[in-house]
Formats: sequence, structure tokens, C-alpha cells
Amino acid sequence: MKFTHLNRRIHLYLALFLLPWFVLYGVSSIPFSHGTYFEELDKAKKIPLWKTIAEKSNYEMPPQDDLKAFAERIVRDLGLPLSSSFGAYRQSPTQINVYVYSFWKSSQVKCFLDEKRILIEDRRFRWDHFLTGIHAKGGFEQGGVHDLWAWLIDLVCFGMLLWIVTGLIMWWYLPQTRNWGGLAFAAGILSFALFLWKL
Amino acid sequence: MSSQQVSKILRRTHLYLALFLIPWILIYAISTLAMNHKSRTSKPPLWELASRTPYEGVFPDNATHHTIARQILTSLDLDGAHQASQSKDGAVVIQRFAPIQPIRLTFQPATRELTIERQAASATAFLERMHRRRGFQHPYLLEDTWAFSVDLFIFGVLFWSLSGLWLWWELKVTRVLGALALASGVALFAFFLAVL
Repeated sequence: MKFTHLNRRIHLYLALFLLPWFVLYGVSSIPFSHGTYFEELDKAKKIPLWKTIAEKSNYEMPPQDDLKAFAERIVRDLGLPLSSSFGAYRQSPTQINVYVYSFWKSSQVKCFLDEKRILIEDRRFRWDHFLTGIHAKGGFEQGGVHDLWAWLIDLVCFGMLLWIVTGLIMWWYLPQTRNWGGLAFAAGILSFALFLWKL
Repeated sequence: MSSQQVSKILRRTHLYLALFLIPWILIYAISTLAMNHKSRTSKPPLWELASRTPYEGVFPDNATHHTIARQILTSLDLDGAHQASQSKDGAVVIQRFAPIQPIRLTFQPATRELTIERQAASATAFLERMHRRRGFQHPYLLEDTWAFSVDLFIFGVLFWSLSGLWLWWELKVTRVLGALALASGVALFAFFLAVL
């Protein structure tokens, strides 16, 4: 197999394998880029985003020095799915929110520390949130299948870099496209440099 | 139009659009790698003091912090995408977004002191800023042009996907292996959708 042939096949097969991720990142970038539009669209429905599922009083709060451990204890205590992504953040000095997120469902547990009270809420499903949620999911901190997803993200990134290299090689072997291609390439670099300088 | 002509138009558009958008592909690929490996415990970038001087400008009566911010930025030739807020002690804090080195300006109305700080250089912070910069929410033409370029990139991604499928189907010798690659990608993606 000649080098140019191998180069074309790598470009093609890698793209076909990673197509679902590529399409996902393309489509899910739309609600990020036009977030205001989607928010206004949802606001017009006048339906609350969060729905209270349960409330517990006299709840014994776990220690709050390690928020990750705090979240894990709450998730276990309440029987929420441990396979989901979860974590916690301090909303105020007297409130910690624990979030439990999967692609299809998102919940939060509001922990009112001084009142020893917790409020469990589910978020209404929204397609734009579904897409932005998948788009933003990454990192190697959750372990298990979550890490496998993060590996795939790395592969998509290497795929994009490889498409650039293999694409440039394919372009160079098409002499009839060099002038227009060179112009497009230079225009892209100049525009980007201008944005970096002036934005 | 014959299918050969359609094919040629698709091939050329696929190629030239990709060549134009190479810097965007690079920045999104590298920044995604950086964000995917970022630790949640990583510290935010530091701010370095650039200057602390009295501000001589006069503001209109009852000027809001937005008006004050815009006037300060314009007078320093720094007008552009920014966010302004007012702290409890009355200080107006202006975050001037910039890809390479963001600037923070703090104006104390009581002493009329203006402090300018620049964010310490950080490659990962730069990449993340570029990744997250989008939208048409700022009243600046250049910002809208950047947002348009992001939309063009999104269009590019979708166009490369669809035209790529078309170009693959035209190459009969690659259909079997290509279908195998596509099917395994779709199956793996569906698995993640089901379990995550």
C-alpha cells in the first residue's frame, strides 16, 4: 500500500468511526452558541425547571470538610444512582448543593446545614440541556465507564489533529487545488490571528 | 447537474472549508485535550498588578456601573467585550475579556483610584478561554464576527460529516471496512448513551 493510499484510508476510516462524536459536538455547539435563544424559547413555556421530589427534616449531615465525600455519602444515603456523575458545591455558608447527573436525568439535593433539612429536586428534561450536558462531559475523575468516555474524547481530539495532517497531505497531492487551497489556508490563519490580536 | 459535478463541488467545498478552518480545528482539539485533563483542584490564574493611578474622568450624574465601565474602557482605548459589576464597597470591577491576556480594572469612586491588573500568562487558561468564547451577547461587531466564525465552524463540522459520508459511499472499495468502522463507532456511542 502506497503512503498516499494509507493516508486517505486513515482519514476516512477514523472519520467514520468517530462520526457520532463529531456530529454530537457539532450539533451540541448550537445551543452553546445561541444559548439566549434557547433560554427564551423555554422561558415562554412557563414551566419550572426543577421539581421537588422529596424533603427530609432532622437529617444528619455528613462532615463537610471534603465535598466529594459529602456528595458520595448523600448519594448513597438517598439511594441515588452511583453510576451517575455526582459532586457538590457550596451555594452559601449554610447550604451545600449535591448534583447527580446522567445524560438523561439530572437531580440535585439542596442541603440546608443549619436547618438539618434536605430538598431533593429533579430537573425537567430539555433537549438543549441534554446536548450541552453530553458536550461538557469529560475528565478522568469519576472512574469506570466515565473514564472510558474521557479516553474517547482524547481519541476525538487526536482524530481532529490527524485529520488536519492527513487532510493537508491529501491537499498537497492535488496540484490543481493548490492555489485556491493556499488562499483558503492563508485566509483562515490571517483571520484567526486577527481575532487573537483584536478581540 | 450530474452526480460527477455534485461530487466535485462537495469535494472542493469539503477541502477548502477545512483549509480555512484549520486554526479553529486546532484550537478546539487542543483546548478539549487540556480541559479533559484538567484537575478540579487546579488553581485559577493569578492577576499581576500593571498600574494604580488616579482616574481623572468625569461621569454623568447617576451613572450606572455599566456606564462607568464603558467610559473607563473607552478612555483607555480598551473598549471591547467586558463584564462590569459593583462590589459592596462601591468599587466598579471591570473584566475585559481578551484571548491572550484578560485585564481586570477596579475603580474606587471614593478615592478615584483605578487599578489595572493583567492575568498572568497561562497556556491552559488561554485555550479554555478560546474554547468557551462564543455567542452574540456583546454589542461589538468584532465579537459578533467571532461568534459567526464559531457558527461557521459548527456548519463545517456538520458539512464535513454529511459530505464525508457521501464521498465514502462513492468509493465502492471502502464500503465494507467503512461500514464496519461506522457501525462500531455508532454502537460504542449508543453504549455510552445507555450507561452514562
